Amino acid sequence: MSFITNVSKQSPWLYRINAGSCNGCDVELATTALIPRYDVERLGCQYCGTPKHADIVLITGPLTARVKEKVLQVYKEIPAPKVTVAVGICPISGGVFRDSYAIEGPIDKYINVDVNIPGCPPRPQAIIEGIAMAIEIWKERL
Amino acid sequence: MKMIKVLLNNLIQGPSTDPFPFGETFTPEGLRARIHFDETACTGCRMCEHVCASGAIRCEDSEKGMKFTVWHNSCTFCGLCEHYCMPKAITLTEDWHLAHKQEDKYKMIEQGIVALVSCEYCSKKMIPSGPKITAVAYQGTNKMIEKLGKICPDCRRKHSAKLLSKGTSL
Repeated sequence: MSFITNVSKQSPWLYRINAGSCNGCDVELATTALIPRYDVERLGCQYCGTPKHADIVLITGPLTARVKEKVLQVYKEIPAPKVTVAVGICPISGGVFRDSYAIEGPIDKYINVDVNIPGCPPRPQAIIEGIAMAIEIWKERL
Repeated sequence: MKMIKVLLNNLIQGPSTDPFPFGETFTPEGLRARIHFDETACTGCRMCEHVCASGAIRCEDSEKGMKFTVWHNSCTFCGLCEHYCMPKAITLTEDWHLAHKQEDKYKMIEQGIVALVSCEYCSKKMIPSGPKITAVAYQGTNKMIEKLGKICPDCRRKHSAKLLSKGTSL
């Protein structure tokens, strides 16, 4: 068991949830992973396509009323222990959509968030900084 | 031919990956990030609160003075507050290290209290006009302007009217 723990400490898998984002933060997330200039895989993490493999969850968007149930359902499918990162000001506080009738957020009303990365959108280096913070938390939690 | 050039360049210069977080990174000039507030320059016009798209700026009245608060977790870093701030009390710095843990969520603020002073004539509490706004408004300063900065708008009006009726120009 300790062998598996040691191995998985080095390679947390990332999973993205779009909770009604404008796609600005999603583009920046794609930038941090997909272009060689920022390359988040140097930190040992990799994006995965299914919530069941995820360790670190990156949530973007202000949690609109329409996607709320779906987001919470997907979030439930992610096995514990997990680290949640809110990317952009929308999931953190509602951002420019705060107090709108279509918004159920901020996201920490429903989900335990661990790291916040403010920005509209945050720059790739800031996202990498936040993911590095999340990896530290992930190592403690295992 | 182009491809060979790129390959050779890669061999000489090494990978183009940004070394952050293991090394230094670049910050482009004019990047809009963490907000800095200079409470000595603020004149309390509250235009920043009015133009703030995400409602991140709040100006509250207290006994000590006007309390300015900006919450970085709601700010879009659009720079409108800086643009409309005449004395440039609000400036957007290039410090983008804003990622933080959840327990610090409500500590991500920049705060300042613009202190009130008493009017020299009627001793009513008011926000003085500092040297930064007089530099913008009058393109310089002299004794008269400095004196006008220390008295409240009502007294300033009376004072100016008196001077005008005497035939002395400001």
